[in-house]
Amino acid sequence: MPDLLALVVQQSVNGVYLGCLYVMVALGLTLIYGVLNQINFAHADFVTVGAFAAFFVATRFATRMLGLPDTGGYLLSLVAALGAGAVLGVLVNAAVFAPLRRRGSDELRPLIATIGVSVLLENGQLALFGPIPYQFDSPLARETIRLGPIFFSAQSVLVVAVAVAAIAALYGFMRFTFLGKALRAVAQDRETAGLMGINPNLVIALTIVIASALAGVAGALLGPVVVLTPFTGASLIVKAFAIVIIGGFGNMEGTIIAGLAVGIIEAFTVQYLGSGLIDLVVFAMLLTMLVVRPTGLIAERKEENV
Amino acid sequence: MTRRHAAIAVAILAIAAAPWILATPYWRGILVLCAMNVLLALSLNLVMGYTGQLNLGQSAFFAIGAYVSTVLIKSHGWNFWLAGLVAVIAAGVLGLALAAFAARLRGHYLAIASLGFAVITYQVLLNWEDVTQGVRGIYGILPPVSGTTALFYLVAGVAAAVYLLLDNLVRSPVGDTLRAIREDEVSAASLGINRAAWKAFAFGLGAAIAGLAGIFYPGLVGTLVPDAFGIVESFTMMAMVIVGGMGTMIGPVIGAIVLTFLPEVLRGFGELRLMIYGLALTLVVLFMPGGIAQAWTAVRARARR
Amino acid sequence: MKHASISVVALAFSTVLTAAPFAVQAQDKVVRVGVLMPISGPGSYFGVMGKEGIDLALEQVAKANLNGYRLQVQYEDSACSPLQATNTVKRVLDQFKPHIVVGEECSDASLAIAPILEQAKVVQLNAGSVTMKLTESGYKYVFRIFPNAEQQSLPLAKVAYEKLGARTAVILHEKTNAGIDNAEGFEKPFVAMGGKVLAKIDFGRDVNDFTAIATRIASLGKVDVLPTFALEGQQVRLSQALAQAKVVKGGGGSGVQMGSIWLPWGYDTKAGPAAIGYVRIVQFDPTENRKIVQDFIKAYRAKYGADKTPTHINAHAYDTILLIAEAVRRGAKDSESIREQFSKLKDFEVTTGRITFDAKGQNSDLSVVHFVETQKDLSWKGLDWR
Repeated sequence: MPDLLALVVQQSVNGVYLGCLYVMVALGLTLIYGVLNQINFAHADFVTVGAFAAFFVATRFATRMLGLPDTGGYLLSLVAALGAGAVLGVLVNAAVFAPLRRRGSDELRPLIATIGVSVLLENGQLALFGPIPYQFDSPLARETIRLGPIFFSAQSVLVVAVAVAAIAALYGFMRFTFLGKALRAVAQDRETAGLMGINPNLVIALTIVIASALAGVAGALLGPVVVLTPFTGASLIVKAFAIVIIGGFGNMEGTIIAGLAVGIIEAFTVQYLGSGLIDLVVFAMLLTMLVVRPTGLIAERKEENV
Repeated sequence: MTRRHAAIAVAILAIAAAPWILATPYWRGILVLCAMNVLLALSLNLVMGYTGQLNLGQSAFFAIGAYVSTVLIKSHGWNFWLAGLVAVIAAGVLGLALAAFAARLRGHYLAIASLGFAVITYQVLLNWEDVTQGVRGIYGILPPVSGTTALFYLVAGVAAAVYLLLDNLVRSPVGDTLRAIREDEVSAASLGINRAAWKAFAFGLGAAIAGLAGIFYPGLVGTLVPDAFGIVESFTMMAMVIVGGMGTMIGPVIGAIVLTFLPEVLRGFGELRLMIYGLALTLVVLFMPGGIAQAWTAVRARARR
Repeated sequence: MKHASISVVALAFSTVLTAAPFAVQAQDKVVRVGVLMPISGPGSYFGVMGKEGIDLALEQVAKANLNGYRLQVQYEDSACSPLQATNTVKRVLDQFKPHIVVGEECSDASLAIAPILEQAKVVQLNAGSVTMKLTESGYKYVFRIFPNAEQQSLPLAKVAYEKLGARTAVILHEKTNAGIDNAEGFEKPFVAMGGKVLAKIDFGRDVNDFTAIATRIASLGKVDVLPTFALEGQQVRLSQALAQAKVVKGGGGSGVQMGSIWLPWGYDTKAGPAAIGYVRIVQFDPTENRKIVQDFIKAYRAKYGADKTPTHINAHAYDTILLIAEAVRRGAKDSESIREQFSKLKDFEVTTGRITFDAKGQNSDLSVVHFVETQKDLSWKGLDWR
């Protein structure tokens, strides 16, 4: 039955695309957790900031002031969003994570402090940008590519490409650069890493900046396909958490697989069960996962202290 | 008269006087909300502060208390007290079940299992329309006692009773056991403490208390919709515990009072209200790591010197 | 004494909180209007536009002679939530003592405050909720100028079946009181006429990507109409996904997407070519020639920017103030007399049409409600179906 096959392929394509968006949002969360054992609750709001930064660069600065073509302007806005995310990372580290770490705080206080940051960012953006959805059109989002019965937008190709590039860059960085190795060392054992001459503060700051820059880029990718308001990120945070957990907190490979899986499951839930049940299915999957395999999809490096 | 008795007397006076100091229907409504939040903060503090279990899903038990009691009253004609009792037991039993399962997990895994439980509970409320009415909501719910002042005395009385109960509990050998588990699970186990059972006990009791707070919510608002129990509620409760001072008895009470009144007092600031709230939350955590309770003790100690 | 002193501090703290209430002005010739709008959270989408409309109307009304009275307005943020709305309505009743309350926009919050206002005998004037329950619950003080779910969905179903010749439909709606009521309001008459509903697809307000939903609809066979009940942001993405999946005319398909009065002006240009062929029911139509409409648009642009066009949310909020001013001009001076004047009102002209309340407090005059179709250049073409 070729219709059914086409349908399954189409929903899989939709799912992979959605999954890549989720991976881009969740990667930063998992990176910070992997190195610091801490959660940045404002991470999703960094995504929103990235989306707005990209919006203003793409639709105002690049095309109107630099006279770039639409596509060029949009690609430039990805870089701007990356920068905006990185700046937020520097700020949140300096203001919240570093001071709390100096006082030897537990994992809970950074979480609560960043909830405050999240409330501040959401409402600050509401005051600045207002609640009416922005019309952020990348020329790629309007371009539909058709292969026989299968369709997808040029934007989704870009999303998948950027996600793959980001993952590859992150891997390359971790494996082949000194800072990357230092980062892995700190994640595994902070004290020993310190004895080996690695400055953990610098490495941790770097981690937060990379994670936040990823959030910014995710925002620039999401902007032209979602409903862009100051609450865009907030609508994603719960799902991003689910993905990070299913993947085994702090585990990059796990997060990538989990993000793709959630995207695909979501597409098939819409097809066969009903769109209202997406969250129910995703979280039922999460709880099942925790019962069957509490360490996440991929077994963790570190043994849990149980 | 010991200090403890004096403290109890002052607390009773404060509760008795509050609705006459804040003597309008609006402020009395906020007082009821405050008493409810005190219950919630106490329940969460028992789990997080005394047994060190990270629970991000307390809103689920709050929701179960609210929905089970309301459905029994509205659809089955039960009396409030009986329905409330069943609702509290339901929340407690579900808490125990989750804890028994969570005994295998620690740290963020428990946090996420509880968060997942809260999201699923929310989704069930949303989708089980035959029973909960889903997003349509249940309307015209009457409080168990007439008048906001009476409702405040009821909820505040219950909160005070729960406070005393928990205060006695943490001073008893049970409290020592719970702290031993929090501080060092391995040595607690070597002392022959059944960790899983005690942790489940604390978790279940915390869930039951959150359910108890939940049975008063529908009567206060008159309306019950699933949106009142989103995961944000769980984080608000957690913020109350941290801001007040986790692991102390009085801390969560202060945290609940401050975080209930703060957004209301800030109403004069209009659009800036929630920005100030967010900033304040961050600053308290940054500059008072032990919460307001600990900061206060420190200030007093310095003043004495 | 550690505990005791802390409790004392807590008590002192709470007494400080009896913050100075708004001084209720001693001036006697004032009609006080409490406005409950969502100003924080995602619902502020309504609040921001509502406030624009009300502010503009107040400026204009201030110049008119209202029997020697003037309107005094107090805004409160009710955040689209029943808890916040009940808190703030009590606050407004305590501190401002309004004669009439305008709000809320969201159905849940409107339903939550209705019994409180009823008990306080204060009129509730609603300009944004569609839920049937608001005017079906027997409240004496509730008045609504927004068409309810049936008033919107029944004409949609009739036009779908009779004018567009539709026999199959897929209903898309957000999972809210408003969305569900509108969806049912379409389904019942459409099925009764002989149409078939292939699927009813609901989604939360946090759903961002509609590609999977569009794919599913494409797999359901030939769909003639797709009545859609969602807010602007989701509608735009939904239409674009449906066009991509070649379900609707805007994407080369044959289906016609249909929308309700909630969908504001500006949707078509935001959605782009995907919106071509969209048929919707409108009440406030900026292209309408009535003088009051054109004057409103002129004044709105003068105040908020020449490049902006008011939406129905602006217009409905603006109309609430015109309506209150009219009641005051006719001699109303408190809640009871406002209620009386509202009940007696006949054919009062506002930007969103004419107002005559029925016995339940629902505006029953739908004479300006009409249909428009989105053209290739994304402009509206009026259809003479009523």
